[in-house]
Amino acid sequence: MKKLLTAFSLTLLIAGCNATTAEKPTSLQAQYEVALKNAQAAVEKAAAVDGEWRDIRWKKSKKRYLPSAIKAAEAGDYKKALELLEIATFQAEAGYKQAMEQKNAGPRF
Amino acid sequence: MTKLTKRLGPTALALCIGLVLSTQVSAADLEAGKKIAFDRSKGNCLTCHHIDGGTLPGNIGPPLIAMKSRFPDKDKLRAQIWDATAINPHSIMPPLGRHRILSEKEIDLVTDYIYSL
Amino acid sequence: MKKILTLLLSAGLVATATQAVSSPEEDLEKFRIYYEQRFPGVQLDDFGNGPYALDVNKRLQWESMEEFPPYEDYVDKGREIWETPFKNGKSFASCFGKDPSKVRVKYPHWDSKTQQVVTLEGDINKCLKENGEKPFGWKKGKIAHLGAFLGYEARGQRINVVIPDDPKALEAYEEGKHFYYAKRGQLNLACADCHVQYPGHRVRGQLLSTGLGQTTHFPVFRAKWQKAAANGDGMGTLHRRYGGCNGQVRARPFKAQSRQYRNLEFFHTYMSNGLEINAPGYRE
Repeated sequence: MKKLLTAFSLTLLIAGCNATTAEKPTSLQAQYEVALKNAQAAVEKAAAVDGEWRDIRWKKSKKRYLPSAIKAAEAGDYKKALELLEIATFQAEAGYKQAMEQKNAGPRF
Repeated sequence: MTKLTKRLGPTALALCIGLVLSTQVSAADLEAGKKIAFDRSKGNCLTCHHIDGGTLPGNIGPPLIAMKSRFPDKDKLRAQIWDATAINPHSIMPPLGRHRILSEKEIDLVTDYIYSL
Repeated sequence: MKKILTLLLSAGLVATATQAVSSPEEDLEKFRIYYEQRFPGVQLDDFGNGPYALDVNKRLQWESMEEFPPYEDYVDKGREIWETPFKNGKSFASCFGKDPSKVRVKYPHWDSKTQQVVTLEGDINKCLKENGEKPFGWKKGKIAHLGAFLGYEARGQRINVVIPDDPKALEAYEEGKHFYYAKRGQLNLACADCHVQYPGHRVRGQLLSTGLGQTTHFPVFRAKWQKAAANGDGMGTLHRRYGGCNGQVRARPFKAQSRQYRNLEFFHTYMSNGLEINAPGYRE
């Protein structure tokens, strides 16, 4: 098993992974994949209660944190991707929380 | 009269601390805070508040003047900027910190600047 | 037996009491009284003129602009669209009736068959599709031009939205009402925060309008949209405006003609019942 792993990381090295060590990018990538799933779930949860914010993924937003994160990951920049996912997740969770807090909003005359 | 002195004590103390703290704020930081306060995509304070030197201010919120006497405790001012809905859930003021409209560092800079007004 | 009946009855009463949301009629009355008390000098119909009802200087500028209103060309374009027959020889009159002045006042309305709110724009595109024509875009262009013409023809008639006594219709109304009063987006702002709490106040140089009378002048010609359009066409629908507002508070806008916006239009227009239609309007 250990041999297999070494072989695997060696292959990655040889494949020309653009970082200094082979281990770091794979772990960042793994982090990214988990973070992406979390972000996507949080966004769907916010959208389901009509609480999604503008800059998460809306096509006319200039920021589009979620698709921008995916783009950054595709370009191999997992660090940036993780930063963007963190914002997307924060915004999605805050939007959901806001919608819950506003559930009973109504006139106060 | 006793009431007044009782109240003046902590106020004066807070004012002193405030003055000491505010003397530590550099001119460059004040300028940076002003920039964030005036930036439409950042603090955008002028949308609702009058600030001396700002053009076309709105009038939804109170003018930002004499801040040290209105907020002897600078932390309370920061808390108000961070999330005005904590005190009044119906407040129209966006929760600049809680919703991360500004970063914590930006909130510090804006607080220093507003406090200087 | 009597005991059981009383028990049942009181249980029923309790149930209705806990559900007691105010009726649309009560909402409307309170809404109107609120603005009338807040702006005692403003006549009911004048609320339909938005900020121009609240500020003398803005009103003077607006009145001089109204001498040669920039929406006039689009009313004419809308008339042309109304009169031009479809490929099958029919025209919009086959869907809406011959008299173009009798169209606007019917919208929005609750459709008991489909159990949803129907808007003028929705029926315009439905008519096109049923006649084998390509539907218009939802927010601007031809749909707004035709809307401008139909609004212009209906000027002076009064908004008369009916909320039928149907639980589903009331649900739609309640959803629209909730939308208007709920804070949303990163800036945490509700429609009502600006247009109920702070009408007459300024955000930067813009004067906030009253929620009362907000829908009477749609579609609208906006100077802001005119500047942004390559062809200078500043016309847009109510749902275009909703989307713009939602984006400004940094909430993700809903699609034009989404259930959310149709229900908002239902509530929002009902709140202006009794006010004169003054479409198309001009706004900054």
